[in-house]
Amino acid sequence: MLRLDSISLYQFKNYPESAFAFPERVMCICGRNGAGKTNLLDAIHYLCFTRSYFTRMDANNVMQGRSGFRVQGQLRLTGKDETAVCLLRETGKKEMMVNGDAYDKFSRHIGRYTCVVIAPDDARVITGGSEERRAFLDALLAQLDAAYLQQLIIYNKVLQQRNSLLRQFAEQGRRDLSLLDVLDAQLADAGDLIAEKRRVFLLDFLPEVLRLYNLIAEQEEPLMLVYESQLQHGSMAELLAHARNKDLQAQRSTMGIHRDELDFKMGHLPFRSIASQGQRKSLLFALKLSELEVLRREKGFAPLLLLDDVFEKLDEERIGNLLKKVCVENDGQIFITDTNEERLKLQMKKIGVPYGMIRVE
Amino acid sequence: MQFSSALLENAVNEFSRLPGIGKKTALRLVLHLLKQDPKEVERFSEVIAKMRQEIKFCQRCHNVSDGDICSVCANSMRRQELICVVESIRDVIAIESTQQFSGTYHVLGGVISPLDGIGPDQLTIAALLQRIEKEKTEELIFALSPTIQGDTTIYYIQKKLTGKQVRITTIARGIAFGGELEYADELTLGRSLQNRMPVEKYMNH
Repeated sequence: MLRLDSISLYQFKNYPESAFAFPERVMCICGRNGAGKTNLLDAIHYLCFTRSYFTRMDANNVMQGRSGFRVQGQLRLTGKDETAVCLLRETGKKEMMVNGDAYDKFSRHIGRYTCVVIAPDDARVITGGSEERRAFLDALLAQLDAAYLQQLIIYNKVLQQRNSLLRQFAEQGRRDLSLLDVLDAQLADAGDLIAEKRRVFLLDFLPEVLRLYNLIAEQEEPLMLVYESQLQHGSMAELLAHARNKDLQAQRSTMGIHRDELDFKMGHLPFRSIASQGQRKSLLFALKLSELEVLRREKGFAPLLLLDDVFEKLDEERIGNLLKKVCVENDGQIFITDTNEERLKLQMKKIGVPYGMIRVE
Repeated sequence: MQFSSALLENAVNEFSRLPGIGKKTALRLVLHLLKQDPKEVERFSEVIAKMRQEIKFCQRCHNVSDGDICSVCANSMRRQELICVVESIRDVIAIESTQQFSGTYHVLGGVISPLDGIGPDQLTIAALLQRIEKEKTEELIFALSPTIQGDTTIYYIQKKLTGKQVRITTIARGIAFGGELEYADELTLGRSLQNRMPVEKYMNH
């Protein structure tokens, strides 16, 4: 079981120095726009992923006019109390500690406190470019499989080196192809492993998303979810050899798992171009709730679920269905933000689950 | 910082350019020197100037040296057919401190990283290859940091030596002595399992 019992924030976003207790499994966070509801969720995200869900720059999360921040959480993980601290020093150096032990690599922390976020911007997983879907997939697999994350880090670093080398070849007009051979071999090992792990995982995962989508949409729709990878046509080494001349010309790497795509289709047409707002939302929930389920199954405990302002544009019935799914059928801890306290209270009363209420001003 | 003397200010500025030295530490060092006898300070600056001016890099292994050939290379007691390849002079010092190595060194001056603009030509790789050719080296031991760039460098040099009669090895990678198993990352632990060693051999160390 994973529970976050309390959190304290120092100079984090709009919180100069604040502490919150989370005594219930279901915690509601209400307040007007700009009061800091999402910031509180993002602080929880920091404890799980050592970074923000919304921005790549840690400095953006420091309170204006100050330097450095600290987020400290009191957690219970399978019966043991743990204190997790994520802090950004004045120098811009970030540290992550659990029970006083600092991590030398942040990647080692990923997967300890599992977490699923659903936020308004997540629609880009459906409508955005393929990198958004890869990011979704990578965040999920990284929490399940530390070896996957390590290989992915290696792959991305070697890929950067390779692209940089390809550019230098063009600039200097000289080519040391044996160095390119070496980088290709390093890329091939990591690439093959990642592609295989993605393939095996999605074999089970995608049908589950589809099943859940039809359940949420309450009808069978001709939705198709397909994993497409250039590595289905050959090993990474073969692809790199095949694309070498093209890569030298283009001065970047044109083939590999960094071009993988999760294709969503409705009939024969791309889902994102013909799906309605409601259908998009249903698919997003299906993806995220399948993520929740697979994390719960593999880890043996449910992840923290952060629902940021998800009720906007949903009708009463859908809100009720969603809440039932995440609060009643799921035994993990849930944090829900909403601007409308009365609406949320009413819904919580309907499903009859004890909940805590935090009002942020 | 406000100074009443431009001479003082210059000195502080120079010191603060050193790695790990901020303005305040620089001021502390300069004020300390100010308290010393002028002769003492003169000797101090002479030692530094002389070091920089007269120091040489060994023509064979690129280690720091007082002559054309460093003391390690010149030592006939050391196994000349054994070369340990390292990134920097600091690594030579670290390995020498273990007193476990009786061969010679080759200082690369870094590792291959196109992102940082460091290719094989910026390192002493060509000199190493020539040296192996000329000296009939028996074994090359890589003691580079266990990073992706370190691996790139090892594979690159190994590739350049295909067909040559030289044994190529790398220092063992795995669980640190005194480390705890559960805190080892999967990559390290996996590698350690793959390259496990007979207890017999392990106990002798």
